[in-house]
Amino acid sequence: MNRRGLIGALAAAVSLAVVPKRARANPKKIRPPGALAPGPFEQACIGCFRCAEVCPTACIRFPSTFSLEQATPHLELTDRACVLCMKCTQVCPTDALLPIAADAEVIAQEVRMGVPVLTRSKCLPWNGSGVCRLCYQVCPYPDKAVVLVGPQKAPLFVVEACVGCGLCEEACPDGAHAIIIEPLGTEIPKPEPIRRGPMRRGPA
Amino acid sequence: MAPASHRNGPPMARRPLQPLDITLRYGRGYQLARRLFLAFSVALTFGLPLLHLRAVSVEGAGLADDSPWARLIQWLPVVEVPFVGAPTSIVLFGIELVDPLVWLGVTLHRGVSWGMVWTLLPGLLLVVLLGRFFCGWACPYLPILAASNAARWFLSRLGVPIKDVKVPRVTARVAMVGVLLGSALLGTQLLPLIYPPAIIGREVFRALFYGSLGAGVFVVLGAFLFDTFVSRAGFCRSLCPGGAMFSTLGALSPVRIHREIPKCTDCTICDVVCNLGQLPMTDKLDGGCERCGRCIASCPTKALTWKLGTPSVLRTPEEKPGT
Repeated sequence: MNRRGLIGALAAAVSLAVVPKRARANPKKIRPPGALAPGPFEQACIGCFRCAEVCPTACIRFPSTFSLEQATPHLELTDRACVLCMKCTQVCPTDALLPIAADAEVIAQEVRMGVPVLTRSKCLPWNGSGVCRLCYQVCPYPDKAVVLVGPQKAPLFVVEACVGCGLCEEACPDGAHAIIIEPLGTEIPKPEPIRRGPMRRGPA
Repeated sequence: MAPASHRNGPPMARRPLQPLDITLRYGRGYQLARRLFLAFSVALTFGLPLLHLRAVSVEGAGLADDSPWARLIQWLPVVEVPFVGAPTSIVLFGIELVDPLVWLGVTLHRGVSWGMVWTLLPGLLLVVLLGRFFCGWACPYLPILAASNAARWFLSRLGVPIKDVKVPRVTARVAMVGVLLGSALLGTQLLPLIYPPAIIGREVFRALFYGSLGAGVFVVLGAFLFDTFVSRAGFCRSLCPGGAMFSTLGALSPVRIHREIPKCTDCTICDVVCNLGQLPMTDKLDGGCERCGRCIASCPTKALTWKLGTPSVLRTPEEKPGT
């Protein structure tokens, strides 16, 4: 190795030691199941798209615009939810996605892709404009991640139990779009007061 | 009486000798093997996503059919996809091959993981033994480079002056270190954003799965335009961070091009045919040799052959082509 190469290598080593490991820009995105925490995930992902190739619902996407995120996968849950098949976790070559067994119990324990945020004023049972329990019907963990309350059977989402697969977001009627899976770390807003609805008539 | 310099008619329009002007006469078997290997590599780049698309299209009952390709390939059998991966990390015949620079990028961030060391070893061994062969045998950018060289040849036939700026080859090493440093500073992997094999794999996948292209095509297009209008094979020779890594490791390879001096007529054809600035006619070679064998194939007097010898890392600067 010549002197120039040596200096370059030394500079690289020093910078790596000096620059803090705790990552700098962490754009909030919903990552596939088994993903490392934001920061380590972006450091480990090499953009090989194996996860997206095996996804049966093609919910794993790559941004198409110029950005640092261009080669890291994220989920777009509005059109297409994750069906929790866990295939993407089995194929990752760098363990940016850690392998998770395709078992409902294990998934309930290990997988946290996002947090459910419900806008009660848009939700049909909550705003008193109709009967709907689509989110409850499609939820892989009914009565755990989503419970129905009150005489109108309005949904309450349990952040601690929700894996963030987005099946509820996909199922929520287009006109309502009341439940949205937000990236991990999103502050859950306090539920807005409801003027009409199940709570006004008294809980069950 | 015509002036002395015009005695045999007016002087011919001079244009620099282009690689496409040179016939690859010998070593046909070697060139055939190289082209078949490249065809295999390109076939994997397109074929693996297609086989995966067919599989998930059936498994997801059409849920994932975003692109017209999903409907166009309904005749494809649904098979267990034999190989998994992309040009920069692929499992072939059960052996995981990862691009050493990709491995280094992840390892600098995440520390050494033994699982990934095992995936690195086969590829690393191949590069240390054979040199920078990936660039000449497998890189999916090669067909685009061939198109660029053809465009240069065509333009020069039309009489358009074409440039060949020799960007110092050390720039590629600066790019290599810069990519690793930038990845560390920004906390994300930059290599997949600017490394043509990674981009081409991803954009082919995107086109087949989603029916759209991403911003990565502009990087590849930029490389093509740079190679065509500024510097012949300039991206591969002087800018590609992966090429720099393969050159660095390839300097350990004992494979070398040997020149039989009595047979050599100093015709410079071998120096011209080389895309990567190696100079076989003066025995100036280093790890930048991509093992394409075109200098051997083009030598009119068969003066060049493959030989095992001292790796170029142990040789003096006078025996290397310089920057």
